[in-house]
Amino acid sequence: MSRGIWDRETVALVLLGAIFPIAVTWLSVAGAEGLWRLVFFLVVAGIWHLVWMLARAQPPSFAGVLTALALALLAPQELGLPALVLSTSFGVVMAELAFGGWGRNVLNPAVVTLAFMGFGYPAAPWPELAVQIGWAALPAALIGMVFGVMAPGILLGAALAFGVAWLAGVDFTASYAAIAVVLVVLVAEPVASAATAPGRWLNGLLYGGLVTLFVVAWEGAAPVQLAVSAALFTSLAAPLFDEIAIGLWVLKRKKRHG
Amino acid sequence: MLAREGLLATLTGPLLERNPVTLQILGICSALAVTTSLDTALTMSVSLTIVLVLSAAIVSLIRRHIPGTIRLIVQIVIVASLVIVIDQVLQAYFFDISQRLSVFVGLITTNCLVLGRTESFARSNPVLPSVVDALGNGLGYSLVLIVIAALRELFGAGKLLGHVVLPLAEEGGWFTPLSLMLLAPSAFFLLGGLVWALRSVLPEQAEAPEVTPPEPQEPR
Repeated sequence: MSRGIWDRETVALVLLGAIFPIAVTWLSVAGAEGLWRLVFFLVVAGIWHLVWMLARAQPPSFAGVLTALALALLAPQELGLPALVLSTSFGVVMAELAFGGWGRNVLNPAVVTLAFMGFGYPAAPWPELAVQIGWAALPAALIGMVFGVMAPGILLGAALAFGVAWLAGVDFTASYAAIAVVLVVLVAEPVASAATAPGRWLNGLLYGGLVTLFVVAWEGAAPVQLAVSAALFTSLAAPLFDEIAIGLWVLKRKKRHG
Repeated sequence: MLAREGLLATLTGPLLERNPVTLQILGICSALAVTTSLDTALTMSVSLTIVLVLSAAIVSLIRRHIPGTIRLIVQIVIVASLVIVIDQVLQAYFFDISQRLSVFVGLITTNCLVLGRTESFARSNPVLPSVVDALGNGLGYSLVLIVIAALRELFGAGKLLGHVVLPLAEEGGWFTPLSLMLLAPSAFFLLGGLVWALRSVLPEQAEAPEVTPPEPQEPR
């Protein structure tokens, strides 16, 4: 992706700009404690980016800021310092830097970190996201779509799934904020999601479907926990959706041109 | 390989340079399954090493009499008989551990490591080198198993062989156990990290890259 000014860092910066509404709303709720969390995750991710720049000549990326912001928003509370450092290092190194940096990773480092925290320290309580953070996800999604860094297929596909589930009588009021924030910040991130147009719709639909399933059937799950789990499974399935989309395209071409 | 000084190389080679688990990625399923605690890993290591050495000795003894067309069947029969003996011994004297190892002792029969060594080495070498080679490979397998199991038990439960090393926070200590270490994925992570570390130290073990990423170009 090097067309004029649209290189990797531009995409990362525009993504940061897009989720700015969420960040500001969250900071106004979380206050100084939230700011400290953000600074902590920025430092840990930044150190790893620096280490990999020095060891492997991999250019550091603003995507590290995206990861840190997502972690500050969604990481479980009351984890000790070693636990936080360990899980953040695992996510940033194993999910992103070891693959060659942002753009070559298969899974979103923030999703991997959150899953690691969830499985590794199941006793730690997940954060409660305030309602207004959920509403801030709407302008964030809009900005992302207008500037072309978030795929409309993913966001609209997920919205479609939620719409159908809502009409069928599923109650999203308790988990709305977490679902919307995870959708915008983690699922719609362009690297770890599907890259073909039909694949993106399937990607969004699967996220919506999984979240609905978890809301209905997963007893005792925190809203952030079920949304992050759905995001993890969705990004695992994203290459499959691309494969399906490409297979369909090849089939169509064959039918038309013999 | 058959010379006197070659025997030592046959024994020590499979420990790091030609380790069956980290270089050939053999015997993974049992290596991942039994490493939640150190005692099961130790039992498994000893059982596998014994089976490996004895089967290599027997196969090597009768190597001139095994018909080529049914050699795999003959080898599996030999290995399976030995595994049954080991399994019975474990059930008789270490019933508790044998219960926790469940099917994995029985599955030594199909362990690629055992068949790989009998098929590729013992079948075409005299008894002494075959036994030494089998012992080396068994020790190499045990080394990986013990390292992974020690890490998993230490960080997952704060213990080693059942003795408390890191006092848990819920019992008045300071250590918060990492429950992930007791789940199967952590064995994959640890083994992957181990392979990564080993291949960084010994770069000749690394495989050639399958693709080279394209150089970034200026848009035209």
